[in-house]
Amino acid sequence: MTLLELEGVHTYYDESHVLQGVDLAVEEGEIVALVGRNGVGKTTTLRSILQLTPPREGVVRFRGEDVTSEHTHEVADRGVGWVPEERRTFGYLSVEENVRVAVRSDQDFDALREYVFDLFPALERFREKEARNLSGGQQQMLAIARGMVGDNDLLLVDEPSEGLAPMIVDQVVEALREASAETTMILVEQNFPLAMDLADRFYLLDHGTVVESGPTADVSADDERIRRYLSA
Amino acid sequence: MTGDVVALTAAVPDVALLADAFGRFFQPSTFARLVVEGLGKAAVYFIIAVGLTLVFGLMGVLNFAHGAFAMLGSYLGGVLVVVALAGGAGPIASIAFFVVAAAVVFAVMTVVGGALEVTLVRPIYDRTPTYQILMTFGIGLILEETTRIAATLRGVQPEPPWLKARGTLPGFLETRYDVLGANVRGFYVFEIVLGVLVAAAVWLFLTRTLYGLYIRAGSEDPEMVEALGVDVRKAFTVVFGLGTGLAAVGGVLLMWDPLWGASVLLNIEVLLYAFVVVIIGGLGSFKGTLVAAVVVGVADSFTTWLFSTGIVTFSGLSEVTVFLLLVVVLIVRPQGLYGVEEVGGH
Repeated sequence: MTLLELEGVHTYYDESHVLQGVDLAVEEGEIVALVGRNGVGKTTTLRSILQLTPPREGVVRFRGEDVTSEHTHEVADRGVGWVPEERRTFGYLSVEENVRVAVRSDQDFDALREYVFDLFPALERFREKEARNLSGGQQQMLAIARGMVGDNDLLLVDEPSEGLAPMIVDQVVEALREASAETTMILVEQNFPLAMDLADRFYLLDHGTVVESGPTADVSADDERIRRYLSA
Repeated sequence: MTGDVVALTAAVPDVALLADAFGRFFQPSTFARLVVEGLGKAAVYFIIAVGLTLVFGLMGVLNFAHGAFAMLGSYLGGVLVVVALAGGAGPIASIAFFVVAAAVVFAVMTVVGGALEVTLVRPIYDRTPTYQILMTFGIGLILEETTRIAATLRGVQPEPPWLKARGTLPGFLETRYDVLGANVRGFYVFEIVLGVLVAAAVWLFLTRTLYGLYIRAGSEDPEMVEALGVDVRKAFTVVFGLGTGLAAVGGVLLMWDPLWGASVLLNIEVLLYAFVVVIIGGLGSFKGTLVAAVVVGVADSFTTWLFSTGIVTFSGLSEVTVFLLLVVVLIVRPQGLYGVEEVGGH
């Protein structure tokens, strides 16, 4: 079943025309990677889905319903979670409080808190600590946990490996694999091999449009058609 | 020119007088009295400024109408206590009426503030801060002039302070008491008690309620909070309303304060002190506002005494000192005592 569809989405930042007619679809249960060079519109695509930067043209459908005119919190309430670029954890809130903000009013916070600490044991001993005191990897885990506890059907994950040491990236990848068992995922990732390793399908963006797409099993970074778009 | 020289010469304090003044300043009874009076002032500054800092912390709006909300609170509270205490009342009943009046004013002004946010402030969030400053300053001026007209038509002094309202202050709060060796007016202790209660209530709201958590998170990153499914616009309305209500409660307290009283002049005078406290504490910081209110209140109390008791007899100098304090903080630590480089963080 199709969970998310973008049809002819055009998004601007003031006069800057960033997304120039993006079409994509995400099926329930899969991981879809958005790849491409810096500035081609990957993050803007995620922001358009969440209506953080609403499209000026085109339609975003979630479970078949048009969400284009909705507010961000309404889209999130439908079950769309976000793990943003640079984590954006609440630095002056404790780890527990960061999780608490993401828990919906009809959910059991105590149970979800324990779920998070089972999933990310490294966070448990810092539960009372302010998030700004965590390492980059721990903050990334907290950001992923925050995206997962909201009973989300779709998780938008933006550059999860950015700025992390290789060993920490492995832990984050493991966390994403665990998350993907419970939720559909769109993954924006500069690290092409990592994205191909995690995802089932990919969309390659260039100049605000989709130029290639297909199963990740069919491509490698050495493919000429991919290299052409990924090289600076 | 000659006149200027004469005035300057006269302003230079006598050394012996200065030494005597400092000697008296450091007498335990004087010092303790000034500290208690300073904490009384700090309580009022805190009650008024905390709403201003919460609004800025969450919404990034510098609310120039904040002083007008305190001014309105002083008149609304005045009307309620004047009507309620017209037939006279004992000390307990007077305090009870005051508390009820403050609660009613808080409730009414919270709703008024929420309505103003929805109708006038919300449409300009996406504009530059200049629009927000002009809008809130305009709201303040309209409220001030409307109050001035209403007070004049009702035969109430819009300025200087409304004496009838201040006259309802019960005698036991006018009386001076010996507290830890200091001879202090009961009203200052009353202000401190109210300030502590308000600070505790706001702190509990921010740290023990889900809405308080959303507000603290939203002060750091409102977009992220929205993306987690929280309607941040509702939080904006709630915080603007609560900030308005708290400013009005501060106004109710000022209505009884011997140094202030209900007056349309409160709009600008209170706004200046509130901004000084919020900037010294760090914009958006609850803790900073609390500490800065104490610093400004005590500094104000000390300098008011020093500049009216022998060194230089010019009461306006205490205000200059408070603003000098602001200048020093801005130079040494531009983000304030507990502020962060960017908005929020508390």
